[in-house]
Amino acid sequence: MSEALVRTAIAPKNPLLNASRAGNLPHVPGIRVGDYIFLSGMVPVDPQTGERSHGPIAEQVRTTLSNMRHMLESAGSSLERVVRVHVVLADIAHMAEMDRVYHEFFPVDPPARMVWSMQLRFGNGCEIECVALAA
Amino acid sequence: MSARREIVSSPQHAGNVMARAATSEAVRGGDFLFVSGLIATDPQSGMRMAGTTASETRQILINLKQLLERAGSSLDKIVKVNVLLHSMLEAPNMNDVYVQFFSDPPPARTVCGARLPDGMKVMIECTALA
Repeated sequence: MSEALVRTAIAPKNPLLNASRAGNLPHVPGIRVGDYIFLSGMVPVDPQTGERSHGPIAEQVRTTLSNMRHMLESAGSSLERVVRVHVVLADIAHMAEMDRVYHEFFPVDPPARMVWSMQLRFGNGCEIECVALAA
Repeated sequence: MSARREIVSSPQHAGNVMARAATSEAVRGGDFLFVSGLIATDPQSGMRMAGTTASETRQILINLKQLLERAGSSLDKIVKVNVLLHSMLEAPNMNDVYVQFFSDPPPARTVCGARLPDGMKVMIECTALA
């Protein structure tokens, strides 16, 4: 190892989307280290109000991925630089609907992905995290 | 200099990964290869091979080995594995097969119980050295 890697917290340009700070939670929105950015799990938050936004699952996925784009772009990366995504659904029956919206955000050369369902907090219908290449 | 991102694809892709067009089978980024969550499929036809937890685990790991080797990596270069099972009561059945595929020391691993798409019993993803 020629030089020690440094880890840096990233933050969204829109402070209303800094859910971890708003909720005084013990994590940051993401960490940049070496070639990578690791994002915390993101849930549907309205970028205008900072409140949870619980419409139909398609809307929840769209809001979450839109916020993820903002988060990555705030750190100089982008959705096109994402290498791996985890999509967690509250209900696995929402798979097809999630997929339809997901495809709008990753139309070509999509990242590696795993999708499953388990219990989520606060009535969120989805929680999505990713690893992206830094700028 | 920014790290390169490369899609690793394969003829089997269509059936190998859960969500078809929306997912690449594996993506190389920087020093690592990120592999999608795999389910048990026939590598020739891409058809799902729903079976027991043991048989699905074996088929996934056979396919994963081939996938990694096609991408210039290998099972021995895996750093982290995530295994999802339809029931944690089946963890020993998965593990009995799993141990046959990895030499010492095996990769880091997490095993969770979760609801999986399409009634599959096992899903496995990994991150490997490219």
